Amino acid sequence: MSSAGRSTKPLSQLINLLGRSLGQIQKAWEPFIVDFAIIATTWILITYTYSWFTRGPELATYFLVPWWLFLIGSVEIAVLWESFGVSLGHTLFRVRLLGADRRPPTLRQAVVYFFGWHISALPLAGLLASPPLHERWSGLRFHPLIVDSIRPRPWYRRSIGIYLMALFVVVSVAAVGVTITFQNLVRLFSDAYRVAPLWRALVNPNLAILKDSFSDLIVTIFMAVMATLFATIIAVPISFFAARNLTQGAIGRTVYTILRGIMSIFRSIEPIVWAIVFLVWVTSAHASFAGVLALWIHSIADLTKLYAERLESIDEGLMEAISATGASRFQVLRYGVVPQIVNPYISFTLYRFDINVRMATVVGLVGAGGIGGRLIAYLSGQRYANAGTVMLLIVVAVWAIDYLSSRLRSKLL
Amino acid sequence: MEQSGHLAIKNLTKVYERGQVVALKDLSFSVKKGEFLVVIGLSGSGKSTLLRCINRLIEPTSGSVSLDGVDVTSLPSSRMRRMRRGMGMVFQHFNLISRSTVLTNVLTGRLGYTPVWKSMAGWFSKADHELAMKSLERVGLEEKAYVRADELSGGQQQRVGIARALMQQPSLLLVDEPVSALDPATSNSIMQYFEEINQSDDITVLTSLHFLSLARRYGTRIIALKGGELVFDGLPSDIDDSRFKEIYGEEAEEVEVR
Amino acid sequence: MDQRLDGSTLLGNLLHTRARTALKNRAFSFLLDWMIWGYVAYAVMFFLNHYWYTWIPGHWYDTLTLPSWGWPLTIIATLELTVICRNFGRSLGMRAFGLDLYPTSGERISFVRRLLRIAVWQLSVPVACVGFWSNPAVPLHDRAAGTVLRSTREVDREETDANDALGIARVRKPEKRALTTQWGIMSLFLLGLTFWLGWTIIEANLSVLTRRADKAGDLFQKIARPDFRYFFKEDPIFVLRRGSFAILDLMVLTLLMTLLSTVLGTAVAFPLSFLGARNIMSFHPVGLVIYTVVRGFFNIVRAIETLLWATIFAVWVGWGSPFAGVLALTVHTIAALGKLFSEQVEGIDKGPSEAIRAAGGNFFQVIRYAVIPQVVPAFWAFTLYRWDINVRMSTVIALVGAGGVGTLLFYYKNEGQWSIVGSVVVSIVVVVWLMDYLSGWLRERIVR
Ligand SMILES: Nc1ncnc2c1ncn2[C@@H]1O[C@H](COP(=O)(O)OP(=O)(O)OP(=O)(O)O)[C@@H](O)[C@H]1O
Ligand SMILES: [Mg+2]
Repeated sequence: MSSAGRSTKPLSQLINLLGRSLGQIQKAWEPFIVDFAIIATTWILITYTYSWFTRGPELATYFLVPWWLFLIGSVEIAVLWESFGVSLGHTLFRVRLLGADRRPPTLRQAVVYFFGWHISALPLAGLLASPPLHERWSGLRFHPLIVDSIRPRPWYRRSIGIYLMALFVVVSVAAVGVTITFQNLVRLFSDAYRVAPLWRALVNPNLAILKDSFSDLIVTIFMAVMATLFATIIAVPISFFAARNLTQGAIGRTVYTILRGIMSIFRSIEPIVWAIVFLVWVTSAHASFAGVLALWIHSIADLTKLYAERLESIDEGLMEAISATGASRFQVLRYGVVPQIVNPYISFTLYRFDINVRMATVVGLVGAGGIGGRLIAYLSGQRYANAGTVMLLIVVAVWAIDYLSSRLRSKLL
Repeated sequence: MEQSGHLAIKNLTKVYERGQVVALKDLSFSVKKGEFLVVIGLSGSGKSTLLRCINRLIEPTSGSVSLDGVDVTSLPSSRMRRMRRGMGMVFQHFNLISRSTVLTNVLTGRLGYTPVWKSMAGWFSKADHELAMKSLERVGLEEKAYVRADELSGGQQQRVGIARALMQQPSLLLVDEPVSALDPATSNSIMQYFEEINQSDDITVLTSLHFLSLARRYGTRIIALKGGELVFDGLPSDIDDSRFKEIYGEEAEEVEVR
Repeated sequence: MDQRLDGSTLLGNLLHTRARTALKNRAFSFLLDWMIWGYVAYAVMFFLNHYWYTWIPGHWYDTLTLPSWGWPLTIIATLELTVICRNFGRSLGMRAFGLDLYPTSGERISFVRRLLRIAVWQLSVPVACVGFWSNPAVPLHDRAAGTVLRSTREVDREETDANDALGIARVRKPEKRALTTQWGIMSLFLLGLTFWLGWTIIEANLSVLTRRADKAGDLFQKIARPDFRYFFKEDPIFVLRRGSFAILDLMVLTLLMTLLSTVLGTAVAFPLSFLGARNIMSFHPVGLVIYTVVRGFFNIVRAIETLLWATIFAVWVGWGSPFAGVLALTVHTIAALGKLFSEQVEGIDKGPSEAIRAAGGNFFQVIRYAVIPQVVPAFWAFTLYRWDINVRMSTVIALVGAGGVGTLLFYYKNEGQWSIVGSVVVSIVVVVWLMDYLSGWLRERIVR
């Protein structure tokens, strides 16, 4: 398996080269991206607040200038900051821009670095050289920050600490201002009586609807069971192609990248959105089926990621030992990999089942079957006592399944 | 230096509820001021339990421990904490707060003297800071004051542990297998710190050790435990081959550590 | 304070705890078997109702409704089936709890002895467990049949010891293949049954999937060709109560909501988590009571999904207000983080707290200097992780009227403007993906 990495095929060489230069680009850009993000955020905050006050909340804008000017401006300020001073990005990544023998940069060097950066780092091409062109021209490069026995300043007296603190305060104030109105707060206290029947029902459930709700609960649980079952069947084989250490060579890497990409996109879409799509597809005559499909897609994406990450952390020693006996690729998988992953896989599946039960209560809200639909019906019909009863059932079921699954999982590990 | 001794232990018994293990059985002995007492015994013979019963990190089941005539076992918990200030402790696995700096670790030795509200904010007095630097100097680690504790080697970590115990300005130092996680050369240098502390500060040292050679070299008196019972109490030179077999069992062989 | 340290009582106590575990395992394995048969009975009833309802006398069209004679019949039948299974071969429950039936005399248990055991069982257990009164380890039915139900691991160990004493190298009996054992067949049967039952209950229908594939294709095509018309500019038709908003505005609002709720949730969960950690609270019985209450609170609140909380708060503080979303996210964050935090506190290394106590530190000083430094990095990591989850959640809580970018999603979905839905979904995916990446990257740096 490791021989594939050392093969001399031009394609894989190209991929290796790409990988190496990607690493270099990442290293050169990390501080820059942080600085850029900080400046852009500050800019947006300032202009937004300014326009809020001068033009009124309706017309508040983010940039004040055209967006491309905003982009260029932020980039330039970030690079200026990095070339002529110690930026927050430098501090965060614990590096300093210094000349040979850790000498502080001269003005000439800084200027060369600043302009060189535009030519070499911005189009990324110069970063392929080693050292990157702007570093070569200016004679400056990132040196790791050396901490000696000097007493470090506490975080609240460091520039990064102060900046983050200020940012945090400003954003929190903005968040409070945007999300909470005075009226809301008043209602939080004055309207508490509206949901009081709901809490009362938790201790004093409405027995008349208990049986029907229980039937719905069974549907919900079976939705989770089926989604997990089907997802496992798909995700187990896929995970082998989504693990970095098992996919080598050009084709393997491509498959790996595509799979991981798709899975991470699918994971980013909440099951409830999937449920909407599937409800359109299979129509609401098959509501719980739509719910299962939604949970299924999301579970596949999630389980593939969990499984693949587990595969990436297996003990390579055992694989080596098995392949040393002259075993075929398949035999290596069967005897070197599978024994290591059976228990974690079961444990992840149980964990996902646990989540699916929770999610299955939720997809019902859009009409995708199960007990969620009943809950939303009671809530929108303002029958809070009934809603409370349903809630009680959900709590008990989810709690029990959570407890059992975590007990089983701790046994498995 | 009264007749009853500096530290007196009478009929000390400890039974662990869980698993019903009798870790200490009716143990009695006393320690004079300034002694360097070494406790030896097989693994599981109750050495750690004994040391922890003295400062009541573990509650003894019965019997009494008294320090300078004060019965430690009957103290209410607030007074007990004050009592503990006078008994420094050094641990086998150092028990440092690994993510905090060395200085913070050493300063925690002053917690018993610091008002709670002050320590919640992380404030220690200037005098405490000076004392901390002095203690660190004593163990040769003043340069590492602002380094995170988990960046130090094992021997250095144990020295931090010693500095922390010194911060308490104790009259008694309880040391639980200070060197069993260290290599032989480092072990010796660590033991020399204890010897120095014992002699120049007149601090009584009560230490458990696994290596008899270290015990012979540094101890002024040795007691041996076996199955929670006292099987030997005397001078290091008194331990001959038959005594050794008695303590460690027939098949044991002595290992030298230099 | 003094206790008698009598060897015999010590041994007695030791035996006592072991016997108690054995009895517990026995009871639980029985319950598991019984529940399995109860499940099978439910399935039978379900299929009867589903396929053969015309056969059912009295026409009860509901699985959970039985005629008055139905319940006793079900209970007795499942009990008997359970007992029969546990006497012939190793049942699933016995396997799950590592038990097996061994003969006390003779090589193997004969058929007649098994029958005898079943017969005596009818007296010894249903009648107030009378068979267990005199000797819980070997109840009446076991004594009558000359058998004993024991932990296989214990028996294994004893055999090894005995063979060692005799100097015999033990030959391990090869494990039977799972599918030749009762529990193996039963597991497979249950899997199949679950599959069938589930397939029927969720009304799975593959033909509708294919039949309407073209409709779905249309939909996906529209979503996949997103229309970003309203990304910067707001839709003049779509007007929220507090002005109209573009996707970007609502996205920022959503992020602010998650930030606020994560911060608030963490601020509450942090102190609570110490009250919910067993090792911290076990200093006193009152502490244990607090621990139980706090943990119970975490579990109950966690069991209600954020979306369900959002429905409640939307009713409470106003439909469509972001504040409802903030409250819902906050409440769920408190419980979820509280549980993660307290588990982290329970997993700390005892050493540092021992050191602080030895230096004369009190309860609060131990927490401040020994517990918090150990857990803070993990707390940060969990908080970031939770922020990530909150961002995911916040994109959809608008469904139940809790504000945020999801408002647009559901609005345009109801309008049938799928390409604009596509643009909202793409924005959500990008933001969620970025958050995922960012929080993962930060977590990695923090935990070091
Ligand atoms: N928390 C505990 N609960 C139950 N039993 C314990 C506990 N701690 C120690 N024991 C038991 O008490 C006995 C004495 O243990 P102790 O740790 O004092 O021995 P030790 O001499 O320090 O051994 P070592 O040299 O390995 O450190 C042992 O049998 C041990 O198993
Ligand atoms: Mg010990």
